[in-house]
Amino acid sequence: MPSASPSATTTLAGTATAAKPAPSASKRRRAATRRTIVRAAITIASVLGGLLIWEFIGRVVVNNSLFLATPSASLIALGDLWSKGDLQKAIAISGEEFAIGFLIAVVAGTAIGLLIAGFETLSLILTPWINGFYASPIIALAPLLILWFGVGIWSKIAVVISLVIFPMIINTETGIKQTDPQLIEAARSFGASRMQIFAMVSLPSASPYIIAGLRLGVGRGLIGVVVGELAGARGGLGYLINNASQVFNMPQLFASVIVLAAAGIMLTALFQYLERLLVPWKA
Amino acid sequence: MNGAHAKLAVRGLTKYYDDLEVLSGIDVDIAEGEFVSIVGPSGCGKTTFLRIVDGLEPYDTGSVSIDGRTVTKPGPDRAFVFQADSLQPWRTVWSNAAIGLEIQHRMSADERTKLGDLLALVGLKGFEKYYPRQLSGGMRQRVNLARALAVHPEVLLMDEPFAALDAQTREIMQTELLRIWSAAKSTVLFITHQIDEAVYLSDRVLVFGRRPGRIQEDIRIDLPRPRAASVKRTPEFTAYVGHIWGLIESAVRESVMEETTLPV
Repeated sequence: MPSASPSATTTLAGTATAAKPAPSASKRRRAATRRTIVRAAITIASVLGGLLIWEFIGRVVVNNSLFLATPSASLIALGDLWSKGDLQKAIAISGEEFAIGFLIAVVAGTAIGLLIAGFETLSLILTPWINGFYASPIIALAPLLILWFGVGIWSKIAVVISLVIFPMIINTETGIKQTDPQLIEAARSFGASRMQIFAMVSLPSASPYIIAGLRLGVGRGLIGVVVGELAGARGGLGYLINNASQVFNMPQLFASVIVLAAAGIMLTALFQYLERLLVPWKA
Repeated sequence: MNGAHAKLAVRGLTKYYDDLEVLSGIDVDIAEGEFVSIVGPSGCGKTTFLRIVDGLEPYDTGSVSIDGRTVTKPGPDRAFVFQADSLQPWRTVWSNAAIGLEIQHRMSADERTKLGDLLALVGLKGFEKYYPRQLSGGMRQRVNLARALAVHPEVLLMDEPFAALDAQTREIMQTELLRIWSAAKSTVLFITHQIDEAVYLSDRVLVFGRRPGRIQEDIRIDLPRPRAASVKRTPEFTAYVGHIWGLIESAVRESVMEETTLPV
């Protein structure tokens, strides 16, 4: 494009790019990199700024570690817990409870969701229960589950399953039901069987919903682990939190919460990455 | 034409939706390799007719047969080109075009080569790895067409495949379709709202009437092939278009009035 339109030249007048209406590929790439850096900088500034404000309020305004531990005190407590080996032990226990519960809930939840989407009678039988359990604060039943399954890891696994399985079921079913009927029709016109329609149309079409269910499940599962451990446990991050709060050791309490938050952020990021990998057509 | 030589034979076909008769006593024979268009006002049952021929929808009385075999369900001898491109967003152009072959368990090295040639034929060479969202409407419609042609259908059923395209793209696609059809040698049943499109493409145009849907007139288009786009400016062409428009004008007016006065 040798001749830039007059309107373009007037709006861009004075800038170096005015003569070239179409910036080169390398220039566009550099601009994109710049945007990424600016965005990352804003995120980091937000986190650091928030921590600074927290530190300031903790030190100057509240100035009482009983009511508000500062980030620096929490970090020191975190280091202490680590050097004593308590933190690793707690992470191992909570991690195991979360992993087993999450895995069982995801596999069973997806399977039940698929069955419900495929068989209407089953859906009629199960839907009121699923919706009921999903809507109710099942977490309140945690003490009951401790009573049933004991203070070991299996009671926490049960709590995690009870929290993660319902969104998995509902998301899977919704995903299958949301399949574009025109895509089903197109497959049917080639003579596709019910199984083929399921495998080649419904399942791939539902996969973004299923992955969204996984992401939703991460937060709920972590809550399940902690609440389960608060209700009765001999180890784990919830157990650490419980101990810390009983002796008013607020830095240790915050330290445990920070570990949980970090785990939540990392797992969510992992599933976001998985989403980009598994459903590239949505990107 | 004689029924014994018909590729597609429809006899006394009737279809009801509850109490509403949507198709009434359809009788038609279509010869092998013939290009037949169906025009008619909205609600004349042309899409229903096409879906019945494909086996996507049941019918009440009469018979539909291809080479003497009664149609009861979709089969590998037919393929349907939908109005909406209905491509799978998670499949690439190549993979979308291959889905019919996959469903029918016919994918082979030989078919892979043919599919490559077919994608080139419909003008998609170099776009095999693109996802549908990266394509224009016209290109998506080409994939839709390639997907149907990939299974080598004896009868190709097309339901307003160019309706969503802009006028220029549409003109180009019409010429392309004729080129592809003469190479693929399949029998085509083509629904359209555009009378000139029907005349330009077809050996015969079936004019459907409404309430109930029926064949009002079966018109042979005697224009020499291959047809250049310039044929549309000949007096013969204009005469065909004028004649068909005369047949359906009042019915179209009626259906338009209904659509604009009745709450839908």
